[in-house]
Amino acid sequence: MSNADDRHAQRRDTDGLERYDIDTAPGDEYLGDTEVGSGLRGYVIGLGLATLLTIASFWLLGTNLIWAPGIPVALVVLAIAQMGVHLVFFLHITTGPDNTNNALALAFGVLIVVLVIGGSIWIMANLDHNLMPMNAIMNMNR
Amino acid sequence: MLGKLSWDVIPFDQPLPMIASAVVALAILGVLAWVFLAGHFPYLWREWITSVDHKRIGVMYTLLALLMLLRGFSDAVMMRSQQALAFQAPGYLPPDHFNQVFSAHGTIMIFFGAMPFVIGLMNLVVPLQLGVRDVAFPTLNSVSFWLTATGALLVNISLVIGEFARTGWLPYPPLSETAYSPGVGVDYYLWAVQISGVGTLLTGINFVTTILKMRAPGMSYLRMSMFCWTSLAASLLIVAAFPILTATLAMLTLDRYFGFHFFTNEAGGNMLMFVNLIWAWGHPEVYILVLPAFGIFSEVISTFSSKPLFGYRSMVAATLFICIVSFMVWLHHFFTMGAGADVNAAFGIATSIIAVGTGVKIYNWMFTMYGGRIRFATPMLWSLGFMVTFVIGGMTGVLLAVPPADFLLHNSLFLVAHFHNVIIGGVLFGAFAGYTYWFPKAFGFRLHEGWGKLAFWLTLIGFYVTFVPLYAVGLLGMTRRMQHFDVSAWYPWVLAAGVGMLITTAGVVAQIVQLVVSIRQRAALRDATGDPWDGRSLEWATPSPPPVFNFAALPHVEGEEPYWSIKQRAREQNRLRDEPDYEPIEMPRNSPTGFICAFFATVMGFALIWHIWWMVALGALGALATFVVFAWRDIPEYVIPAAEVARIDRANRSARREALVTYTGPRP
Ligand code: HEM
Ligand SMILES: [Cu+2]
Repeated sequence: MSNADDRHAQRRDTDGLERYDIDTAPGDEYLGDTEVGSGLRGYVIGLGLATLLTIASFWLLGTNLIWAPGIPVALVVLAIAQMGVHLVFFLHITTGPDNTNNALALAFGVLIVVLVIGGSIWIMANLDHNLMPMNAIMNMNR
Repeated sequence: MLGKLSWDVIPFDQPLPMIASAVVALAILGVLAWVFLAGHFPYLWREWITSVDHKRIGVMYTLLALLMLLRGFSDAVMMRSQQALAFQAPGYLPPDHFNQVFSAHGTIMIFFGAMPFVIGLMNLVVPLQLGVRDVAFPTLNSVSFWLTATGALLVNISLVIGEFARTGWLPYPPLSETAYSPGVGVDYYLWAVQISGVGTLLTGINFVTTILKMRAPGMSYLRMSMFCWTSLAASLLIVAAFPILTATLAMLTLDRYFGFHFFTNEAGGNMLMFVNLIWAWGHPEVYILVLPAFGIFSEVISTFSSKPLFGYRSMVAATLFICIVSFMVWLHHFFTMGAGADVNAAFGIATSIIAVGTGVKIYNWMFTMYGGRIRFATPMLWSLGFMVTFVIGGMTGVLLAVPPADFLLHNSLFLVAHFHNVIIGGVLFGAFAGYTYWFPKAFGFRLHEGWGKLAFWLTLIGFYVTFVPLYAVGLLGMTRRMQHFDVSAWYPWVLAAGVGMLITTAGVVAQIVQLVVSIRQRAALRDATGDPWDGRSLEWATPSPPPVFNFAALPHVEGEEPYWSIKQRAREQNRLRDEPDYEPIEMPRNSPTGFICAFFATVMGFALIWHIWWMVALGALGALATFVVFAWRDIPEYVIPAAEVARIDRANRSARREALVTYTGPRP
């Protein structure tokens, strides 16, 4: 075990990011030294929370707990919570220092999604801009 | 039983494609027969087809790219000659066929020519420059390659069995919907691009992981070569953009196969959404292609100017800037679709701003050359040709980015000239520079300089003679994709472009001759040192060709230009560094997973195109089974004994020592 630890000694470089100073075969996985038990616990909690949130969103619709026009908002909130659960328990995004890469990747992903979806909504809503309003066309036909 | 398949789908009545495909089929059969009869098959299977070595995969990607470039080029010759003959005349290609030719041309050039070329060079070089033994997921890498090959195969099958899309390289609805394209052409396009797209996405993931997690000890981000940086940026763009392509094409597929209404005019569909989404992928795609080319030019210009890259950090910043801004400009491909002035203006300005990042790079390359001892070898010629040509292409791009101007120029031949200007002058010149630059690394001998220079000049002149007239005739109002035309003012320009095509053809021939001549004279062109260009990054520290494990001991990096500093120290002290302690090295075993997966993917893709449902199930099951078998294998690695490592490394060291003794250049 200690031998393997040496081989996988983590090091921190001048860029402040760390990586494994490896010389294992490419494609070989380094399975950290966290125990199986604690890892499993995380996944089970995550699964539980995710299931709970899913059930809650279906259940909400059937009750009149929430003012009807507010339901979409409630669903959005639950969806965002769901994403959070996935990120933390399944994708292991934490705020720890060894997570810079993951956090950066997440930020990049969110940025692109916002740009593409936001941009698309803006563009698509704007496409009839140069068209005559419907009643003007009607008037013309008359 | 066989879905839509029958004897009628083979175009026996069209002599041109039949003869062409018969020739190609005979050539392929001939090569296959030779391979089997001469007993080369076991070697090919063992050393190439099942190889998970990034260098071998890179070479196979490049080979695929070269073949597909030839195929796409013959389409181009057909289009140019058709237009040259079709002034007030029907020409020799009927409209139906002409439409397939230009659609196949664009699809093949982008997805199966340019992309595999760029990805092939990344495969060959990135792990070597990072100082590691392979990419993060070697078997996945092989899967990526073979899925790309599947896509290429499907497109080429469409030549003989059935037809190809008539929609252009981006199948805009409603034309691409079943109502207007009932045949299998669009389906060939969809499945070929989808399957190879999966391969590309896997490549992106593989390279992001490799570059972020697998650098040699001491190789911090700001010590990586420029090519690694641009490969990282391109891979990030792949990961971010290709899912958009996949989803958009999947929606079109649902429309076509199950009568959905994503992009139809009825039932709440919106065809403009397709245009929007496809370009949200499409513009990042052009930077996926050109960023690695920028990296190649950075390596080449610095090496052949015998100077470090000027403004390395500003280059990194410009690369990341382009990487992000390339997601903010896609509307410039459809200024005319109907958005208001504010939207058009915002995207027009963003588009002009992206040119700033490229401008920074151009200046940095010029300052790198300034005061250097420049050697005008072939890779450097391609780079210089690029700098001049790309500036012109960038400027016409900025012109097109002005919405009022674009209303006049959109979809004219001016646009066609613009993007060929940046793709040929940028991506292809870059790929050719990289091909001549790294060829000795991959094979152990250089390419013939004389033929290389001839190929460069013919291609450069051919390019200008072809596309300058297209700029002009575009300004005269000629639109793209015309099968014939009647305007006499256009005729001289179209003829001139035809002449340019002939010159370019000579360039292509020179390129082929160069390869043949180089292989025949390989003894004279041998690169014994592993460092033929006096290089600066780590790939030149390995022998040519490098052993499977690349480095006997992982190099410890102490600064920028890691190999240059090693070499300088050796020149200063007149001796090499001490021999490392050799240890056995574990390497991943070969795996047929990629090839077999791709085989089943081909079966599945073909069956989906022709609606042969039982065969679809068979292909899917086969691919899944292959994956399961791979996941359950027990011995993923083999060990190269220390003695073998020592033998290989000592040979490399003695070659280096020889080079050191005979070195006559300046010493630090
Ligand atoms: C220097 C910055 C660039 C600017 C400002 C620019 C601008 C534009 C604009 C405005 C268009 C749309 C014109 C129209 O459809 O009417 C366009 C089309 C295009 N550009 Fe660029 N471009 C630039 C660089 C590039 C690069 C580097 C590439 C590829 C490597 C590229 C490839 C293309 C392609 C493929 C198309 C059109 C494809 C089609 O319609 O089928 N451009 N460009
Ligand atoms: Cu664009």
